[in-house]
Amino acid sequence: MKPDASATGGRSPERFATTRWSVVLSCADPNLGEEAAREALAELCKIYWRPVFAFICRHGRSVHDAQDLAQDFFLMVLEGSLLKRADPNRGRFRSLLLKALQNFLNDAADKRRARKRGGDVQFVSWDDWMAEAPSQLTVSAKAVESWPAERLFDLRWAATVVEQALRRLREECESQGKLRAFEALRSCLGAEREDVSYPSLSQTLGVPEATVKRLVHRLRQRYRSLLRDEVAETVADPAEVDDEIRHLCGVLAAGEKAS
Amino acid sequence: MIPSGLSDSIAGVIADAQPCSHCDSSSHIAGGLCVGCLLQAGLDPDDECAADGLVSALAEISLPDKNWRLGNYEILEEIGRGGMGVIYRARQRHSRRIVAVKRVLSYHSDSRETLARFRREAQAAASLDHPNILPIYEVSESDDGLPFFSMKFAPGGSLQEVGPALRNHPRQCVALVAKIARAVQYAHGKGILHRDLKPGNILLDGRGEPLVSDFGLAKWLDTTSDLTRTLTIFGTPGYIAPEQASGSAAQLKPAADVYSLGAILFDLLAARPPFLGAHALSVIRQAAESPAPKLRTLSKLADRDLETMCAHCLEREPSTRYPSAHDLAEDLERWLEGRPIIARPVAPPVRVWRWARRNRKLAGSLLSILILASIGIVSIVASSRLSSIVQEAEIAQRTIAIMPLEDLSEPSSSSSTATPFFNTLTAALKAAKGVYLRSLAGMPSDRDPWSPEHWKQIGHASQARFILNGSIRLRQGTQRLVLRIIDTATGTVIKTWLSDADSSSDVAKLLATQLADVINNPKRNLRDSDGLLLMVNGDVNSAGGTDNAEARSYYERGKELHKHNNFRDLVRAIDSFRKAIEIDSAYAQPHAILGTLYGLMALQPGGDWLAQAEEETATALKLAPMLPESRLAHGEILARHGQLRASIDECVTAYELDPATARIAGKVGDSYSRTGRPDLAIRWYKKATRREAQPLCADMLGDAWMDLGDFEQAEAAYKIAAVFRPDLPATAASFARLALFRGNHDEARKQSEMARSKYKGDPQPIMAAALVEFFTRRFDAAEQFYREASAFGRNGGVDFPGCVRFTSALGFLQQLSGEGASEGTALLQESRAVDQQETASAPENPRSWYSLAADESALGNKEAALAALERSIETGWIDYHSMNLDPRFDSIRATPRFQQDIAQLEQAVRHMAERTKQ
Repeated sequence: MKPDASATGGRSPERFATTRWSVVLSCADPNLGEEAAREALAELCKIYWRPVFAFICRHGRSVHDAQDLAQDFFLMVLEGSLLKRADPNRGRFRSLLLKALQNFLNDAADKRRARKRGGDVQFVSWDDWMAEAPSQLTVSAKAVESWPAERLFDLRWAATVVEQALRRLREECESQGKLRAFEALRSCLGAEREDVSYPSLSQTLGVPEATVKRLVHRLRQRYRSLLRDEVAETVADPAEVDDEIRHLCGVLAAGEKAS
Repeated sequence: MIPSGLSDSIAGVIADAQPCSHCDSSSHIAGGLCVGCLLQAGLDPDDECAADGLVSALAEISLPDKNWRLGNYEILEEIGRGGMGVIYRARQRHSRRIVAVKRVLSYHSDSRETLARFRREAQAAASLDHPNILPIYEVSESDDGLPFFSMKFAPGGSLQEVGPALRNHPRQCVALVAKIARAVQYAHGKGILHRDLKPGNILLDGRGEPLVSDFGLAKWLDTTSDLTRTLTIFGTPGYIAPEQASGSAAQLKPAADVYSLGAILFDLLAARPPFLGAHALSVIRQAAESPAPKLRTLSKLADRDLETMCAHCLEREPSTRYPSAHDLAEDLERWLEGRPIIARPVAPPVRVWRWARRNRKLAGSLLSILILASIGIVSIVASSRLSSIVQEAEIAQRTIAIMPLEDLSEPSSSSSTATPFFNTLTAALKAAKGVYLRSLAGMPSDRDPWSPEHWKQIGHASQARFILNGSIRLRQGTQRLVLRIIDTATGTVIKTWLSDADSSSDVAKLLATQLADVINNPKRNLRDSDGLLLMVNGDVNSAGGTDNAEARSYYERGKELHKHNNFRDLVRAIDSFRKAIEIDSAYAQPHAILGTLYGLMALQPGGDWLAQAEEETATALKLAPMLPESRLAHGEILARHGQLRASIDECVTAYELDPATARIAGKVGDSYSRTGRPDLAIRWYKKATRREAQPLCADMLGDAWMDLGDFEQAEAAYKIAAVFRPDLPATAASFARLALFRGNHDEARKQSEMARSKYKGDPQPIMAAALVEFFTRRFDAAEQFYREASAFGRNGGVDFPGCVRFTSALGFLQQLSGEGASEGTALLQESRAVDQQETASAPENPRSWYSLAADESALGNKEAALAALERSIETGWIDYHSMNLDPRFDSIRATPRFQQDIAQLEQAVRHMAERTKQ
């Protein structure tokens, strides 16, 4: 016979806030559905392909070559090499993916040059992939020239995270039939409170300023939740979210100074 | 140096980008928003809000997207949405004509080039004028500069929906595809490829005529959620030609569309696309590497010519397919007319038969009249089918798909009455007016059957608007029936019936009447009738909800915090629930969840949590007796009072009312686990895991396998728990107990040490360490750990595996040491007094009896010890491993009764384990 909770609590089947990355990591255990892990990984790759592509481009490959290499890389990842190597102590998706990519490019330098081209099935339509979640990141020319590839990878990653959170926020607004309101309020998200022009928003939206303020507050809160969710999907333990965000902030700031 | 073609690789580059005045970063995304500031914004976890909070805030503004104009059109509603586009039903302002309007979602509009391309392609598609191509009326631009186009609104659904109705009618399928092929050929003639022909893109008008939509535009407006959902990435590979996945879009040839036409025909006849796979990758790979399966292996009605034509379309090499859609159309028409097809010469006997079909009168003198007569009949029946597609859709609206009832009775109960009830209900429903029935097999066991998406899919596949499912349970002599009806249009439960009546046939008849009412008028509210049935409507009040948005947002926030499962957030969650109640005291959900939470707090020593738990639970039960969470809270209270059977009943009731929530199934498992039924517990944990598609109860599952003596399974489960819940110290402690039971003492010590260093300050690893030392008889170390543990609550320990009360262990150990013997005895007597009190107030709880037995044995009262031990076994104690190891039983260990008890337990557990593994 067995109890439900220990004398001091703690053991109960409640809530299983599982992140995609933890699903992938769980695949280290053969008892779990590999399919679930593969799907979770595919989802993650679908979101975070741009950093990979940027990294390869930064290594001096032509866009065409970079597309091929990225295809091969994702194929390798999705076919399980990354799954096999994933283990719970390996940490975050971002760092593991970067590591895998570095190894892959080292290998690729020797092997792939010899391989003849053509005949390989291309699995990704780049047009579609780009269209799925278009991005419009702009960075300073100086930064692109002088930053190391790893830092560009992280920069692209940071941009992807915020774009993805904004996309979800927009969808939530649109599902409430309030896309137009979102469009009007969008610029407030990155701005300091004092930079927001409440009177003009009040006019656009046809509600008192107090309501606008409340709404902006809620929108910010919700954005924050979504951003944290997005980051949480890529770490094994929700407790690492703050750390991961700080790391990405650090990349942006440190990068600027280095440039 | 910047490599060329960076536009979407690294980023757009701005030569003199201005650094942000707040964070100094010079990286921006669309709209000039600063990436650094947007990231920084995520760093305050205390200031979040759930989707609900945003929804209620948005509700305050009066700038809805409806009454929204796009050029000359009034937007009426959104009817579809894909990766890049959104489709509205709209009304043209002057003509009042209803149209469909599609536009690119504004957040895809960041690139001017993209917009220009969309516009160009829409205009090209608008130039097409063919009876089987969905006409585009106008390509225009809205005030915000976004292009859109309007087109005919086709209310008849797509081939995806009506395809199943055509399945058994090859001639209709072929005729349809021939028309589509003609339309495609027309577009090819104008230089426009479709690029994404699939059943979802073939719409049907009111007369069942096909209308090909989205010529050349599909990539903008991919609205097939099913494919993108199940095939995760890279488009819709079921129907696209292999070269489409590899080559660039510019190099595509008409042969790619021919391939898709073949795939559509194949799908219509075989009820599936040519290639299937768990993910897009495997589908595309198969299409590229292996020939399509032979149609006749999948469709009994297809003949060899149909197989040949499909195969010819589906050739991997584009140049070996039909040279054009025109050639395919011709061949399909030849087949319809019974003439030989071109695709492959056919053998002479077949040709004669075909000729006979074509020249019936003449053939009549040559061939058997019988054959011809039968062909004539078939074709008459078939042609009347085509015109009835619309009617079938009408019927689907009134169809209930009935699923077998889930039997929740315990295996020991007498045989289930599910089948007779089911038959009576079916018969009564068949007699009801305006209701059509369809029976459904059970759910596939490896999938989560409870998401709205899944119900939608089942409704779609079974052509039924409604699904009836439920459960049956023999319960204290009566029969508990729960039935619910699910609207597959929304995927939600619209009504639940619960009955504890004796006569199932009365219930079945009453239910049938009410079901018919619901189906004929899904919106109407029914009243409870005759006390036979208790009903739960899908509205907020019977679900224990509130109309107050603020209260709801506090509740949602509390639930979010609760999920974090740490003490700090638990306190914050409780605070949030309390606030929700302050705003709306009649809001049952927070009352119920507080009942459960306080019940859990009551497990900790100190405080009067149990009384508070009882109060909240009573309020919740009064406000919303049918709220699952109320029942769960009540179950928890009953367990706290040792009424374990009643607790199981309440938890199962909660499950009956809400089978969707995995946590509830897990709770039922726990309640069985408490009564010495790990076999049943495992069954419920597995149910929970299926609901969530995740190893929800892995740690508890591990404990159950431990109870069954299957250490391999237990280890596997604990490992899963460790991956998914690295934050739970209990799991880490479990590894120590596992090693202990396996007899690997060094490993046990190592594990408990690891757990202690990882979860400093948590009592669980300390209790695990104490148990390991105590059971391996390193008494000095054990004493030290038990002292440490007793700081968390003097009388704790009974609910931890091994069931060792701290005072009891310390008393036993001091007795041994000699000098403190009398103090030890006093401690043991203190522990015994607590146990006696607990066995009196909760005689069903095996743990209390077991702890009493250990105390009595340690005190040397052999007879009393054996009597208590046997009571504990009667009430469900099965952990004989602990009995074997616990030093407190040394005084009775050698008695035949003790040995006999152990032997009996071993045998019982072995039986249980065997049953479970079957």
